[in-house]
Amino acid sequence: MDKIIEKHSMIGKRVTKLDAPDKAVARTRYINDMVLPRMLYGKILRTDRVHARILSIDTSAAEALPGVQAVITAKDTPGGKIGVLRDNPPLKGDVVRCIRDEIAAVAAETEELCDEAIRLIKVEYEDLPTVFDCTSALANGAPIIHEDRPDNIAMEQNFEHGDMAEGEAQSDFVVEGAYNVHYVTHCNMGVSCTVADYDTDGRVTIYTQTQYPFNVKMDIAPSLGVHPGDVRIIQPPVGGAFGSKLDVYPYEPICVFLAKKTRRPVKLIYSREEEFIASPTRQPVEFKIRAGMKKDGTLTFRDCDSLLNNGGYTSWGATTPYVTMRTMTSHYTVPNVRYRARAVYTNNPFAGSFRGYGNVQATWALETHMDKMAEKIGMDPIAFRLKNANPPNQITPQGSNLGCIDLVGCIEQAAAKSDFLAKWHANNKAWAEPGRFKRGIGIATSLHNAGGAKIHKSDGCGTMLKMDDYARVTIITGGSEIGQGLDTVLAQLVAEELGVPMRDITIINNDSALRPWDVGVHASRTTYIAGNSAVRVARKARDQILRAAAAHTNMLPDMLDLRQGHVVQAETGLALMPLDRILRQMHFAGAEAELVMATDYYEPPSEPEDANHMGDMSAAYSHAAHVAEIVVDTRLGTIKVEKIWSAQDVGRVINPVGLEGQIEGGIAMGLGYGLSEELKIVEGKVLNPSFRDYHVMTAPEMPELDLTFIETGDAEGPAGAKGIAELPTIVIAPAIGNALYNATGVRIDHPPLTPEKVARAIAAHKGLLG
Amino acid sequence: MLPQNKCPPEIEDYVSAQSLAEAVAAMADGQGSALAGGSDLWAQKDSGNGRMRKRLVNINRVPDLRGVSEAGGVIRLGALTTMTELLESTLLRDKVPVLAKTADRFASSQIRNVATIGGNIANASPAGDAVLPLIGLDAQVELVSKRGKRSLPLDSFFRGPGKTVMEADELIAAVEFATPPKGFHGVFCKSGPRPALEISVVAMCLTGILKGGKLTGPRLVFGAVGPTPMRCVKTEALIDGKALDDALIAEALAIMATEIAPIDDFRASKWYRTQMAQTFLEAELNACR
Ligand SMILES: Cc1cc2nc3c(=O)[nH]c(=O)nc-3n(C[C@H](O)[C@H](O)[C@H](O)COP(=O)(O)OP(=O)(O)OC[C@H]3O[C@@H](n4cnc5c(N)ncnc54)[C@H](O)[C@@H]3O)c2cc1C
Repeated sequence: MDKIIEKHSMIGKRVTKLDAPDKAVARTRYINDMVLPRMLYGKILRTDRVHARILSIDTSAAEALPGVQAVITAKDTPGGKIGVLRDNPPLKGDVVRCIRDEIAAVAAETEELCDEAIRLIKVEYEDLPTVFDCTSALANGAPIIHEDRPDNIAMEQNFEHGDMAEGEAQSDFVVEGAYNVHYVTHCNMGVSCTVADYDTDGRVTIYTQTQYPFNVKMDIAPSLGVHPGDVRIIQPPVGGAFGSKLDVYPYEPICVFLAKKTRRPVKLIYSREEEFIASPTRQPVEFKIRAGMKKDGTLTFRDCDSLLNNGGYTSWGATTPYVTMRTMTSHYTVPNVRYRARAVYTNNPFAGSFRGYGNVQATWALETHMDKMAEKIGMDPIAFRLKNANPPNQITPQGSNLGCIDLVGCIEQAAAKSDFLAKWHANNKAWAEPGRFKRGIGIATSLHNAGGAKIHKSDGCGTMLKMDDYARVTIITGGSEIGQGLDTVLAQLVAEELGVPMRDITIINNDSALRPWDVGVHASRTTYIAGNSAVRVARKARDQILRAAAAHTNMLPDMLDLRQGHVVQAETGLALMPLDRILRQMHFAGAEAELVMATDYYEPPSEPEDANHMGDMSAAYSHAAHVAEIVVDTRLGTIKVEKIWSAQDVGRVINPVGLEGQIEGGIAMGLGYGLSEELKIVEGKVLNPSFRDYHVMTAPEMPELDLTFIETGDAEGPAGAKGIAELPTIVIAPAIGNALYNATGVRIDHPPLTPEKVARAIAAHKGLLG
Repeated sequence: MLPQNKCPPEIEDYVSAQSLAEAVAAMADGQGSALAGGSDLWAQKDSGNGRMRKRLVNINRVPDLRGVSEAGGVIRLGALTTMTELLESTLLRDKVPVLAKTADRFASSQIRNVATIGGNIANASPAGDAVLPLIGLDAQVELVSKRGKRSLPLDSFFRGPGKTVMEADELIAAVEFATPPKGFHGVFCKSGPRPALEISVVAMCLTGILKGGKLTGPRLVFGAVGPTPMRCVKTEALIDGKALDDALIAEALAIMATEIAPIDDFRASKWYRTQMAQTFLEAELNACR
């Protein structure tokens, strides 16, 4: 056989997401569809108070209802508390602190019976004084939310670098601003759901939507009073997570307790209204920024103080300052910086993590502020940003090496493609002219980690590989798939190394009993970290195969290659033997027999931050620049986004389809944040818990998109790629706000830019409001 | 999630009527709730806020409640006419395009496929969209019950949010209106935070005979700025047959603002609702010039 097989790379090819066909024809069985034999349903009674002492809970009528198998309250959940500061008991027995608080739970044969039983539970309360905003909660004599934190401060971070007084002295201009960012929620298509199953020996299997399986084992075990080793986490397909499933939330241990008490599997699933009321939100923040510059636009200092409304309990929202801090200290070159953040307990709902992790908020504040500074010294927004952009390999005040970044390229490409400056100058002149519709253009940029974030002892991921006698490959990865496309990218990277078709690769990623450890899906880390581990494990398998093939062909391993299911001569491409044949020869070789199996654990070369917030915590960093062109109806206040130009440093394109999907979806989410989404919380209560009154972007609102991928080729990333998924959500909203200013001369510092807010601001600007 | 102190209404009985006689019989004791598209009824039931009575009467299989027809200069829309039919009927597209324009801004295609005219009228939401152009067409609503039939102007049908003059044993059979004459002009405007799938924050319908920059016999109706659809008769009288110049339009805007009764709620303030109503009216009157 004189077959010649050319080298054919998978990297950069347009590949359909592996899970897409099944999802498109409704074949995917999501966790929400799960039914186990003898399964019961569970339901939670939540409080209708925001701060109150529980005097009594009477569950007798609920227990008497036929078909109800268990009713539990705090006395049935003796384990520890959950949450980042372990301040959240799964069921509340003494005090409720926010509207979501769980009082009791029932397990019954049907969901309807659960609803009925819940209505039969009687709770008596004594109301306590309430507090809803940070400033009031910090004041002397404010109601205390947790007795062990009498100052109501849940967490505090401080950082200072350089000499602030010196920075101030060098400044020709100082600009101050305040930016309050609001509550939004994830709006996962699949509502929160978990199924718990106890075995007779006290081990528990939890089917759940977590994006953090190995940490869930560790975090949930104390609340259950079991050993973490006795917790098995299985992750069926989910309808979105976007950061919302990074922590353990009370419904998960509650479901386990119901399963334990009934000795039957129990499924707990939220209604949509419950999803709005009782899932974590994005962290709301009040920022104050003071920043200085010289006459030529050189930044001299930046001071940022922020208050985070922590709500009743502490989840990951309180830790978003770790990311916010990097933006405030390190986005653009600023020699002297100070940053302070305090997360303050109130009687509001609490926030979790959400795609962008504090940086959506920080970038809104900083990029609005940067535009104001540019205006102050009469520079255009492009020139001002370019003047202060970090160069490659910049060492930041926190000690990160930004590596192969290209902020300048991002700004220049987005500006050139959108013809930014010509439009911007023309719109500026048209402010004062009559006319109901005004055109505006704005830019914003962002810095984000693109190679994980070492916030735990390890930021690693393990992978196991096996090949069978038919050259089919199984990859068992620690990485989790929450719809972002991990399976596809791993299959592509492994196919590249082993020269096999993607459809011959099976990815197993859903069972903690099989998979090696991984941190979880966050920090735009999965392609980078799980991808690197998959490449490494595939290379080990490849070396094993080539060693065996070399022995069979009397060649040296490095003279051979794997292409299209064959062992070939590397130089000529001459096919030497089919891959499955060499695998069988290795397998059925008597005493010499070997199977192709390999393992790997990849630890990225990043370091945890020390107590002073110094440390290069990500293996890579990246930027994006977005330009938005809008038309504002100055009477109705509606903003029509006509086109967005995005230029993002992606390291290297592995699969354009996956990349476009992440950027387009990220922009849709960021537009919702900037324009229409807001969870309205008044005195601790959620006023709009439905899609009727909570407005996510719909298809007709999506503008035309022009995406530019800038390939900086990261030396460490798989095939040169960087993590890309959070940046598009982070950067778009302030570009819209800056465009509104360009169109109308009106600045709105507090998003979202809803029609009424815009109409009011414009009317006020024209002196039309009393 | 059902508010935990509220019970969903119990449905004790279900009747699937096959004829108008069966339907009115099932409603006769005043204990029936008609089920048309269910796009209001079901949402209200699940929220525990329903006004649902104990017998559910499915009227979808009653042929007499269906159909779009024209006879003797009168157009008749059966109560079960859906928003999709308003969009797709060639008769309506040719002769009453304002109905298609309204349907086009109504909900999403899935909801339009089930949402009916009868349901939109009977539900009597201040934000009901389809009732606005029907009032603008001087439509009559035809009610049937075991006691017989009666017709009344749609304009006098509403009493408040969810309240109408319809008795508990009555069904809406149809709406009827004169085929609009040549020169008939009808526009529908609506706005909310989003262009699609939106409950109106303010909606407006303006109709009349348009000739030479003058609107004769105008009808001006607003949704979501009062407890019922709000007709602005003083504004209508002001502009009737007059040349629409800047001064007249300014006067019309001022008078209209005294005729509507918007409220402040978390969806929009009174100020913004008034601003929207004026913006719509100003733009549409200018378009008539
Ligand atoms: C997602 C969504 C979006 C929506 N968007 C809009 C919108 O843009 N604009 C708008 O106006 N509405 C909207 N609605 C509300 C709703 O779709 C409309 O009011 C629709 O016209 C109701 O018609 P239906 O046939 O579904 O009524 P149903 O829900 O079947 O009935 C509504 C009420 O009318 C009574 N009823 C129905 N038919 C008759 C009859 N023939 N005689 C007597 N009583 C009767 C019922 O008993 C019930 O009380 C929306 C609803 C949803 C769920």
